[in-house]
Amino acid sequence: MNSFTYVRARNQAEALSSLKDAKFSLPVFKGGGLDLVDHMKEGLIAPDALIDVRGVRGEGDLAGNGPDAVEMKGEVIRFPAAMTLAQAANSAVLRKFAPVVAMTAGSAATPAVRNVATVAGNLLQRPRCWYYRNSQFNCLKKGGSTCFAVEGENAYHAIFSTGSSPGPCHIVHPSNLAPALMVCDAVVHTVGNADRKEIPIGKLFHGPEKGVTSEHTLEAGELITHITMKARPVSGFYAIKEKQSFDWPLVFACVAIEMAGERIGKAEVVAGAVAPVPWALPAVAAALKGVDPKDERALTEACALAGKGAKPMRDNGYKVGLLSVAVKRAVMKAAGVAIAGEEGR
Amino acid sequence: MATTTPTMNRPMNLGASAADHLDRVDALAKVTGAAKYGRDRYLPGSLFAALIRCPWGSAELLSDNAAEVGKLAGVVEIKISRREGTYHGRDVGYVLADSVVALKRAMNALKLEWKRREVKTRIEDTVKEPPAINEDAKKVLDAAAKKLSAVYSTPVQTHSSLETHGCVVDHRGDSATVYASTQGTFAFRDGLDEALKLKGSDFEIVCEYVGGGFGSKLGGPGKEGLNAARISAARGKPVYLFVNREEEHLDTGNRPSSMTFAELAFENDGTITGGQILTFGGVGVARGGGGCDVPSGRYNFGDLRRAHTDVSFNAGGPRAMRAPGKPQGAFAEELMLDEVALACNVDPLELRMRLARSGNHKEMMKAGAKLIGWANRIPTGTQTGTIRRGMGVGLCSWGLFPARAEGEVVIYRDGSVEARTGTQDIGTGQRTIMGVVAAEAVGINPDEVRCSIGSSKLPVGPGSGGSVTAPNTAPPMRAAALDAKNKLLTIIAKELNVEASALEIVKGEVLRGGQRVMSFKDACQRITGDSITGRSDAAKVDTSGKGHSDGVQFVELSVDTETGVIHLHNVVALQSCGRVLARKTAESQIIGGVIQGLSYALFEQRVLDRVTGAMVNANLESYKILGPKDMPHITPVLWSKGQTKVCSLGEPPVIPTAGAVACAVLNAIGAPVRSLPITPAKVLAALAGVGGKKNEDGGAR
Ligand SMILES: Cc1cc2nc3c(=O)[nH]c(=O)nc-3n(C[C@H](O)[C@H](O)[C@H](O)COP(=O)(O)OP(=O)(O)OC[C@H]3O[C@@H](n4cnc5c(N)ncnc54)[C@H](O)[C@@H]3O)c2cc1C
Ligand code: SF4
Repeated sequence: MNSFTYVRARNQAEALSSLKDAKFSLPVFKGGGLDLVDHMKEGLIAPDALIDVRGVRGEGDLAGNGPDAVEMKGEVIRFPAAMTLAQAANSAVLRKFAPVVAMTAGSAATPAVRNVATVAGNLLQRPRCWYYRNSQFNCLKKGGSTCFAVEGENAYHAIFSTGSSPGPCHIVHPSNLAPALMVCDAVVHTVGNADRKEIPIGKLFHGPEKGVTSEHTLEAGELITHITMKARPVSGFYAIKEKQSFDWPLVFACVAIEMAGERIGKAEVVAGAVAPVPWALPAVAAALKGVDPKDERALTEACALAGKGAKPMRDNGYKVGLLSVAVKRAVMKAAGVAIAGEEGR
Repeated sequence: MATTTPTMNRPMNLGASAADHLDRVDALAKVTGAAKYGRDRYLPGSLFAALIRCPWGSAELLSDNAAEVGKLAGVVEIKISRREGTYHGRDVGYVLADSVVALKRAMNALKLEWKRREVKTRIEDTVKEPPAINEDAKKVLDAAAKKLSAVYSTPVQTHSSLETHGCVVDHRGDSATVYASTQGTFAFRDGLDEALKLKGSDFEIVCEYVGGGFGSKLGGPGKEGLNAARISAARGKPVYLFVNREEEHLDTGNRPSSMTFAELAFENDGTITGGQILTFGGVGVARGGGGCDVPSGRYNFGDLRRAHTDVSFNAGGPRAMRAPGKPQGAFAEELMLDEVALACNVDPLELRMRLARSGNHKEMMKAGAKLIGWANRIPTGTQTGTIRRGMGVGLCSWGLFPARAEGEVVIYRDGSVEARTGTQDIGTGQRTIMGVVAAEAVGINPDEVRCSIGSSKLPVGPGSGGSVTAPNTAPPMRAAALDAKNKLLTIIAKELNVEASALEIVKGEVLRGGQRVMSFKDACQRITGDSITGRSDAAKVDTSGKGHSDGVQFVELSVDTETGVIHLHNVVALQSCGRVLARKTAESQIIGGVIQGLSYALFEQRVLDRVTGAMVNANLESYKILGPKDMPHITPVLWSKGQTKVCSLGEPPVIPTAGAVACAVLNAIGAPVRSLPITPAKVLAALAGVGGKKNEDGGAR
């Protein structure tokens, strides 16, 4: 790990000006610092300044005040970018009006990680592909000429591609929160080089065909200040993990629904851990319309569409079937339908 | 995880001894960080070393910038002694610097240009086809009513010791102190004299605490110790060399992978008549050490042809790991039995009662069946719900092996008592149980004995391997304590003008004919010098007698048939271990063994990139180890029927677990998963019928 200067920004202006300070050659914003420090330890990046934005106060407050940093005005929920995953998981507002966000935040990683990890950091964390994370593999994402996952060990890689053909990079997007925020129509607010920007969460990410060395569309120097989103009181999340402690999901799904009587009137479905970006499943959402979530057979049928169009690699075909199950169970979670085996667990 | 369930068959001579509730004596030091491990020794003026390693399964070193990096501030030396490596992690040289920071900078700045070569990474790269069936075995198979033809496989499991391998060597010219992380204080010493250019008596190995080893820290100083010793000897400065987490996975040994090809012949009632079992061990670049213990001898397998072959490929080689060769064999063996039972429609426990050779195992199976509630087991293949429950059972056994050990007990004038043994504590509770043994023999409370361990200057003791430590160190420690007590009582006897044999010490009081004479503390003040020392006399220590350790484990779990995820519910682990010295540390050995076995069953595996031979999960994130939420309720049952000796306990509890898990999965879903770890993907494949086809005899394939 390299030496670096640590800057504790007190307000937005300080954060932005530190980033432009000519005495730094590679300054970066730091949230919880988890992913950054992992990268530095592995020698993947060597920033010479870490600008901690968690203390940014005043206008465009990043840290949020009070026990619940989440505010709700009318239908709009707002929370600061440096709110921790633990805060998100415990927020009374989110638990009531957007349970999908509270659930995804509460399911990521471990309590220790969630106490430190920030919302913005979670959205912008880099992929977990084991070739990417290992400095000795100079893969496409790091400017090399090969994707090692294609011939190598790809059990945890993507089954969907964003471009017309699979690849060239086969990561899955790592963020738990991103798909949850997508079903809530979230907007990411930034300040930076030009003006304030409002980026619909779906536009925050891009696939490898639009550039393989990054996963998001922010420009250098842009700081995420807060997130706004719509209330989704009937929403849910389900992750399938190999290990129930300290593990990344094999696949997961986030669902928001509006009920029309006993049946689903409208649904939004976004999956995670299956594609290089949070993966929207509009066909499944359409098929869910009119389904009674208590009718498991109808639900299963609608969700079976989830794997349609998947092009699995050698070792990750199992994800296709799992995805349908994750979506189905996310709907059941949203609708408050009991899932087999979850009693007493 | 509650483990307070009362244990059955409590050791007969323990009674209400204090040791029944005694906590691990160094628990507080360990959890507060007060305990100093080898890794914690940062000596003034120390140099820091790291090994340079081959990053690929096989590669040639074309060029390096060592000369340039050597000029960086703080870098003392860079030595490259090999220009090729045949496994990821093969050391080819070292970097030496005067601070941790300088060392890290140098390692980062070091640019090595490697040319990769083709690699083999698995047994299957060599063993491409099922081996032929021997003619004799064929005859048995042809005559069989039923047959099972199956292939079982297990992955490489790394030891994943929390404290990585290494040591700090402080060479001071004519003497040296070595702070080592080792399971063999004396083997470490004996392997270091040449490198240090000193006699064994001129230097001390200090190993007060060890952060795990599981067998990988048994074989002397290893390359970490030898390199550190040579450098320290040459430079006359302390040298710190501990490997990092990645290196720990790559090059400090492992449990080798295995493949078992079974062709079994059996009767309609499940009686196995014989056949053929061929095993292969995946030993990386090593030539041997890949044994896979099946059949184990615990069951009657009839007329069996048996052969084992070790297969080499481009990967770090094995080292002894907690019951070497046994868990991989037991996995295949137990699952095989359940497949036979299923094919014959026999209860698998009933089949085991018939095939098991030891009466002890049978008795334990009966007792364990009650505890787990075997009567509620649902017959295999009859469940249709999403969540299906399963139960499995597995057996283990272990012998008792001799090892050289001595003990010393010192009674000081101030009444304090020190028990001394050079043997280290790898987590088994050596410090705790030696105190118990000494205290009991002297006649005082365990908390009044201080136990000094982990030094080559203390009385010799065995390496912590083969589960020999407690059985071999307890008798001499007892002998030493009795010797010390007798010396003390002789002094008192003289004063009272009686025979020493007329006196005894009970609960810290000297008694004569049951009447209190004086307190133990007062007695100690009569010592004329500073202390008296009791010693064990090897010739007089009774280590005879047999002490076989048997075990039976039951696992209860459920399988989510939509996701393939397994939820572990209960494990009942009955384990004979002879006389129990301290119940909590004994139970902790069983619980720890079970946890390691469960983790092996469901999660752990070294993943080598098949193209480059590099290990892609050399960390504790994607090398998955069972975590708190995955933990079932574990009930350890100490079983000491018919045993009075202290017997082996460290290794056996890890043997049967994975097999029992596999059987429980078969019971739940009706199809076997014959390959560890049992991941959701494999469960789903088994459910979908891939690899779960029935053969024409009705046996599962
Ligand atoms: C063992 C383990 C398991 C995990 N499991 C999961 C999981 O299951 N699901 C999941 O989603 N995550 C998981 N995580 C990841 C964890 O959630 C992320 O590492 C964490 O969210 C990163 O947050 P951070 O605040 O520490 O980010 P940082 O490391 O501080 O930052 C990450 C990136 O975001 C940038 N950044 C941070 N804040 C801002 C801002 N306000 N504006 C602009 N840029 C910013 C930084 O410059 C950096 O590039 C796991 C992590 C570990 C270690
Ligand atoms: S999937 Fe992407 S990150 Fe992983 S090896 Fe391929 S190019 Fe690199």
